[in-house]
Amino acid sequence: MATATQAPSRGRRFRINLAYPILIAAGVVAALPFIWMILGSFKTGAEIRHIPPTFLPDQPTLDNYATILQDDNLPLAIFYRNSAIVALANVVQVLFTSSLFGYIFAKFEFRGKNVLFWFILATLMIPFQVTMIPGYLILAKLKLINKLWGLIIPAAIDAFGIFLFRQFSLSIPGELLDAARVDGASEFRIYRSIVLPQLGPALATFGMLTFMFNWNAYLWPLIVLTEQKVRTLPIILTWYSNQHSDQLHLTMAASVLVIFPVLIVFMFTQRWIVRGITLTGFK
Amino acid sequence: MALTPAKKYQAALAGLLGHSQGRDAAQKRFVAGAISPLVLYMAVFTLLPMVWGLALAFFEYSARRSGGRLLGLGGDNPFVGLQNFQAMLDFSREAPLEVRLFHIGVKTTLLFAFLVLPLNFAVTLPLAVLIESVHSRLKGIFRTIFFLPVLAPAVGVAIMWGYVFHPQRGLLNGIRTLIGGTYVATAWLRDPGLMFLGIPIALFAVIVAYLWQDLGYNLVIFIAALQSIPESIKDAARIDGVSPWQMFWRITIPLLKPTILLTAILTMISSFQVFDIIQVMTEGGPSDQTQVLVLNIYDYAFRFQRMGWAAAVSVVLFLMIFSFSIIQNRLLQTEWEY
Repeated sequence: MATATQAPSRGRRFRINLAYPILIAAGVVAALPFIWMILGSFKTGAEIRHIPPTFLPDQPTLDNYATILQDDNLPLAIFYRNSAIVALANVVQVLFTSSLFGYIFAKFEFRGKNVLFWFILATLMIPFQVTMIPGYLILAKLKLINKLWGLIIPAAIDAFGIFLFRQFSLSIPGELLDAARVDGASEFRIYRSIVLPQLGPALATFGMLTFMFNWNAYLWPLIVLTEQKVRTLPIILTWYSNQHSDQLHLTMAASVLVIFPVLIVFMFTQRWIVRGITLTGFK
Repeated sequence: MALTPAKKYQAALAGLLGHSQGRDAAQKRFVAGAISPLVLYMAVFTLLPMVWGLALAFFEYSARRSGGRLLGLGGDNPFVGLQNFQAMLDFSREAPLEVRLFHIGVKTTLLFAFLVLPLNFAVTLPLAVLIESVHSRLKGIFRTIFFLPVLAPAVGVAIMWGYVFHPQRGLLNGIRTLIGGTYVATAWLRDPGLMFLGIPIALFAVIVAYLWQDLGYNLVIFIAALQSIPESIKDAARIDGVSPWQMFWRITIPLLKPTILLTAILTMISSFQVFDIIQVMTEGGPSDQTQVLVLNIYDYAFRFQRMGWAAAVSVVLFLMIFSFSIIQNRLLQTEWEY
């Protein structure tokens, strides 16, 4: 008996001891690109051009950040605002439409329901790259090119969101809805006061994923927003990087200012994001 | 459902006064009021782009020409039938540039996806097992480190790695100097002559950046799947004296098989659509060695204004993705037995 319990615990200890050095080494490698970028942002222009490159900055400086923040061609506040408007607007509307239509598909019968739902599922198989060209032409017809609306209006419906919230709505007890009807609540009131609270955790999870997806989006904004002042952060960052290809100290400072503030917020909300990914396989 | 007398009275009254019919009508109004805008909206922003995108592939279309009345098709933007698709089958040396670029695009995209998949799994599966094996407080810290790149914008990742791979200022050549003693300014992203196993080094470089960003997805999925393996199975194996190595190959991997297969399909589908990192790091270079299909579509549609051709290429990309989606659906319908 004693040997039977000792043997596995010895095995476990051995495994754990080996796991730590491997994970720490892998973690350092994984963190290196972030660290390298941050270190670069504190180097002077002369030092960053030094051959061979230094690892730690010799004379750490904040000048690069000052240069970026004082650059009139790079009003970061405006680009932050643009990104925030698009991401927040899309989170709000996608959560609204996904939960409303998901609920309707789960709890109501109407003519054409199955065809419509099948169509919505089918659109999930169509890659964005197929519809982006006509999508651009439609926006051009609607005069929405170079407008933030161009990133918001075509994003009102999320097929995957509707599918997801239909699944979640199926488990809402029908008695709960009927009781509210007997009490004289309007159908919209029932959606708002009974269905939405039931979907709360799913709304938080899917909302975080939608925000992140929109905040980091690149290809579609690159197509729709060609004028400087309406651009969102990822596009302005690549524009700046191309303009300053031989001033990496400035590019790195700009990258840090664009990436990190929101990355840190995301880091604290990763619990929801991880849950969303593992729950849905969302990508 | 138990109704209070007051509720019963109310319900009866409602029935008498025809309110229950009113209820039905209210539900109908609610559904119609919500579904009709949805149908209208999807007709314009979902169905129209799908049909239009497919139609464009059969035209020589440029947004610069006004063309015919219906969606600008016809007239100056003539119908060319299957010409775009026929041109894709021209494998001769005299094939036009866009056709050769398309061939390179298909080849590079497949190469990219088939390299990403095994490399991704070779890192994420063991990493998930290792993270699961450490003390629970440290689990979160390690997971965060490997998951953080998922949360960062791809263009930021590309700029970071562009700096790591920079010939004169990059970390990689710096580290090589420390190890080898002499400084060599290897242009990892720009030198088309660099090859490894017949595969361009620049392609490996963008794959490294892509993997670094993408690992976290599969990692958290595998960690969740590992947590769902019953503790009793692992305990039984340990009591039987199974080594960690055997445990991984004989127990963990077979139990994770459904998750692994589905994740493999998702990983393939998303790597077929790679764009951001490559566009920023190499723009498809050097010498088109990282020219993937989406880059091709973007360039021809929005830089060279040849949207008909770009639409035809996007249809091919769709077919590639679609074939994997079908496998995915098969897998989802499979019932796994343990």
